[in-house]
Amino acid sequence: MILPKFEYKKAKSVAEAVAFYHDHKGRARYLAGGTDLIPLIKLRLSTPTAVIDLKDIEELKAVSRNNGGWLTVGANVTLFNLKNDPVVREYFPALYESLDATSCETLQMRGTIGGNILQDTHCLLYNKSLEWRTARGFCYKMGGAACNVVPNAKACFSNYCSDNAPSLITLSAQVKLVGPRGERTVELEKIFSGDGRSPFLVEPGEILTEILIPLKKTQGAYEKLRVRDSMDYPLAGVAVSVKGAAARACVGGIGLAPRLYDLKNINEITIKEASDRIYADAKPVSNTVLSAIYRKRMAGALLKKAIRRVLQEGWK
Amino acid sequence: MKDNFNIVGKRVVRSDSLDKVTGAARYTADIKLPNILVGKVLRSPYPHARIVSIDLKRALKVPGVKAAISGFDAYGIKWGVFRYTQDHAMLPTDKVRYIGEDVAAVAAVDEETALEALSYIKVDYEPLPAVFDPIESMKEGAPQIHAEHKNNINIHIHIDVGEVDKAMGKAFLVREDTFKAAGEAYAMMEPYAVVASYANGYLDLWMPNAGPHVRAKALSNLLKLPLNKVRIRHINSGGAFGGRSEVAPGDLVASLLSIKAGRPVKLVLSREENATSSRQVHDIMATIKTGMKKDGTIVAKDYRVIYNGGAYSSTGPIATSIPFYVYEECYRFPNVRYNGYRVFTNKGIRGMYGCHGRAFLAGNEAQMDLMAKELGIDPVDIRLKNGLKPGEVTATKSKITSCGLKDTIKAASERTNFKKRWARKSGLKGIGMGCIAIMCGFPMGFRSGSSCYVKINDDGQATLVTGLVDNGQGNESMVIQVASEVLGIPMKDINLVCADTEVTNLDPGAYSQAAAFVGANAVRVACENARKKIVSIAAQKLRVKAADIGLKDGLAYSMKEPDKKMPISWVVREAFFRGEPVAATGSYFPNIDFEREWVSRPWGQMAGTFSFGTSIAEVSIDPETGKIAMPRFTTAHDCGRAINPMAVEGQMDGSVQQAGVAAITEGNLWDKGHLLNPDLLEYKVPLACDMPDIDTIIISSLDPEGPFGAKEGGLTVRMNAYSAVACAVTNATGELFEELPLTPDKVLTMLERKKGVKG
Amino acid sequence: MKTIRVNIQVNNEKNVLQVRPYETLLETLRERLNLTGAKEACSMGACGACTVVVNGIPVRSCIVLTAEVDGAVITTVEGLKENGELHPLQEAFMEKGAVQCGFCTSGMIMTAKALLDRKKRPTKKEIVKTISSNICRCTGYKKIVEAVEEAGKKMA
Repeated sequence: MILPKFEYKKAKSVAEAVAFYHDHKGRARYLAGGTDLIPLIKLRLSTPTAVIDLKDIEELKAVSRNNGGWLTVGANVTLFNLKNDPVVREYFPALYESLDATSCETLQMRGTIGGNILQDTHCLLYNKSLEWRTARGFCYKMGGAACNVVPNAKACFSNYCSDNAPSLITLSAQVKLVGPRGERTVELEKIFSGDGRSPFLVEPGEILTEILIPLKKTQGAYEKLRVRDSMDYPLAGVAVSVKGAAARACVGGIGLAPRLYDLKNINEITIKEASDRIYADAKPVSNTVLSAIYRKRMAGALLKKAIRRVLQEGWK
Repeated sequence: MKDNFNIVGKRVVRSDSLDKVTGAARYTADIKLPNILVGKVLRSPYPHARIVSIDLKRALKVPGVKAAISGFDAYGIKWGVFRYTQDHAMLPTDKVRYIGEDVAAVAAVDEETALEALSYIKVDYEPLPAVFDPIESMKEGAPQIHAEHKNNINIHIHIDVGEVDKAMGKAFLVREDTFKAAGEAYAMMEPYAVVASYANGYLDLWMPNAGPHVRAKALSNLLKLPLNKVRIRHINSGGAFGGRSEVAPGDLVASLLSIKAGRPVKLVLSREENATSSRQVHDIMATIKTGMKKDGTIVAKDYRVIYNGGAYSSTGPIATSIPFYVYEECYRFPNVRYNGYRVFTNKGIRGMYGCHGRAFLAGNEAQMDLMAKELGIDPVDIRLKNGLKPGEVTATKSKITSCGLKDTIKAASERTNFKKRWARKSGLKGIGMGCIAIMCGFPMGFRSGSSCYVKINDDGQATLVTGLVDNGQGNESMVIQVASEVLGIPMKDINLVCADTEVTNLDPGAYSQAAAFVGANAVRVACENARKKIVSIAAQKLRVKAADIGLKDGLAYSMKEPDKKMPISWVVREAFFRGEPVAATGSYFPNIDFEREWVSRPWGQMAGTFSFGTSIAEVSIDPETGKIAMPRFTTAHDCGRAINPMAVEGQMDGSVQQAGVAAITEGNLWDKGHLLNPDLLEYKVPLACDMPDIDTIIISSLDPEGPFGAKEGGLTVRMNAYSAVACAVTNATGELFEELPLTPDKVLTMLERKKGVKG
Repeated sequence: MKTIRVNIQVNNEKNVLQVRPYETLLETLRERLNLTGAKEACSMGACGACTVVVNGIPVRSCIVLTAEVDGAVITTVEGLKENGELHPLQEAFMEKGAVQCGFCTSGMIMTAKALLDRKKRPTKKEIVKTISSNICRCTGYKKIVEAVEEAGKKMA
């Protein structure tokens, strides 16, 4: 399948990338690993006039500890390299596991952590060719006036399928965004809009440049529901990070944004409560290869699995 | 039978693999021809609509567009494999019957131009009510898809042997269950592609295909060209699995474009088009009623099976029959009734599949286990009791000659310690067994046989010419190996010309399980005829008796006095001197009852012989998620003599993936007429990490007719692996499956149903 | 639209090319350089049939722009032979019977090559994990895993 026409720009710095974006009057897309973006363009789901390649920006390629007690991860660090960073393995097991569970090894080597966080949401009726979508009719996310999955729905129910954002959220990660109007740092869980047409609260032209993770040792796990043990996006994913007696759990793969749950004290009762809350909050619809009701139930079940594993592995 | 061969039975490197590991092997999309154009197809966005008009004028005006066509440029001819199934125009002019159906096409200098031109084709449709479910489609008042087929029933296969109702009434135990299965995607790695080149009145075509001769015939009909003007050329095929057996709409499209443009045209389908618009596999619903005696003897079977046939007949009568036949070729059914209905719906075109019929076959096997258990009989004994033995005749009158069914059951169950593990299962672990038989060929009229021409060249090398086809399973290498054995010429010195309608003769093709039994047999006969000529001259020259001549490593030698020897090349040169070059033909035509017909006379000898096999799956189920893990899979196969055991093992391994693990992961998903997973991400072809440890066991029953005793190798496992998985899940849960694939959501439902029964 | 000038070294040969900005590496290899070993099977990065090695890393060339790999050293299946000798992976794929229809073979071999180049004698588990990036429809992967193991031993 051929790509539609667009220009290609290689940026040497964040400032240059933002300037290119400005030149294209907002109709440009930033390109990192391309594993999410290029298929979207092939399917004509994104039709930029230009792509701005960020891969040559040196400042986005590093992982560093800084004095404030943070691990700073450049957005262009590949999933594979981040997974193999000893700090990640030692301090952030939930993130290690979610990186390892992301797609497949080859795509981990190409995909970046920034791109993984800002990947578009998925739907079985959305990620299709223009011909397929024309036959089915355009939905909200394509600029149409209906949802093709839930009749009479007022909004989009596509799924946010990053494996790593939920892990990072349990680790209280923040992201740095640099754009035409300067830079800002926000908690990762705050960048989700809840609107399928534009799932992130990222300003036009803003670039996610860094992920900042508090450098404190945690125990953790990531449980992922999928049909095949490689390549597949999560049909539900639960990350858990534990510090002392408290745990943070985050559910991804269902709906437009990850959901965070705090467990102040881990015990049978709080685990059950959290699992029940997750079950109640999860609102999957029939837009993946497994049934909605099953995914709803699994979200709660995966939490129990993840915590059980952390307790066994961490406190043995 | 002689058992001491130079090369047959050895694990040889396949003759085609060097080109494939170096990237040199050419597939259709790799073809480059001078002035070649790019073809693109405009497809129906409607599942069912009347075509009011098609306007190509604006598309033709786009610079760089060299041709544009629709069905109005064709000849109004409809194709069907049988006289009574001719309903497929390939480019319709009356109405469209599925989303993705080919409607019009362009050929342009490049893909961008072709895509632009497509957007200017104007088609006026009048949408019609559509139907997607076969049960709905059979009801009175459902939208009629083909005028001549009332209630949309495309094919009804009715088989009635013995006295089913009476036997069922007398049976000790009777059980009826309904099983469903989603149709699969062939998901061959190569998306469909075709190159058509029309010049000087001849049409040359390249495409992945399983039978070039029948394809040429179809196109000659559709294009109103004499058969000798349509030439299907040899090219590598990136997998078929039954999906490349029939003529494809793209063949007609590319041909019409090339004829119109006077230039070669290449049409390569996208992955999505390959799924929506080449072919798919039937969704099936099978109701199975079985009667057993107290001792486990099956006394009666009563079947009602509904196949969602999609929009056209395709190989309908065969597809509606095969699951039943491979089962009756395996077990003894004194009384059996089969009602198979293939029903038209507004879904894509469907064909036969290597793993065809999983709901029916896995349902039969799982139900048998549950009934046997009730009678205190285990899966091994119930199969040994009811399995056919050599010399027996099937319910529809096929005689079984060589038959290693019993040996495969024993070998596989001993290897896995089956009986003990089945009886003493723990937790949600299970072990299950599936058996099947496969006919090596089926009645295809005068196309049922194969022939071969062999010539020995002046350097002592050989050239084989045969219609045999290789879709990746290794058929080409197999016949080179057979020729090498007979002629004593190393494989590397044998060239093969095959699957090219201009030079090769008819062959059943690579979709009828006949390549080893029929195709290789023809090669063997031709080479034996050539061998006689070599031996005769060598005996004269070496002054020994003809019976004393051996051929090996390119030499003719005296077996008694090995010092007496000469290169085969000298023999060949002598033959040229005598004006009688060493060349020979040979053919093989299997012993089939040609009165047999799928609908009107469903009895008589189906094939020359049958292969058999037993698969065993071991599973464990996660009680919280319902996810099935499959640590080990054991499969034993009676394929007669394995000409290349390594190649047979490869077929068996692949079958464990495509039928066994697929029983957990694979199935097409639909939103009415829209295929939801026409890609390789959401259609779940198992990956390396999803595979069990595979243990393959080859049982050689040595067929008296097969070349060196060989029969079909591999497909057997494709048609019993899912049964093994279904039976293992039944062993683990005590429940029968309702629908394949056994994705974790469905398994969890099974577990809960079980709990509900207990509570 | 303006073309872009790129320098890429493919199979030890330097190429200076003018490519379309929206041209994929797979298109460049297959159409400009006549290297048709890499196959287009899904076009979406979901199967691995188009895998080539770029600067030591396996890359799905159907979802990478040629413009992105300006300056890169690229190896395709056609460039695996050294001094006319087959690469140990090519030999092992033949000898172990790991090739059937052949359409996934180039991508599978290139994925495995990148593994063997970064890791001596990988374990079976590591091999399975690596090649779980690629779809094969024919073999059940068993003989592919055996072939990579065998090549790993030869190369160690």
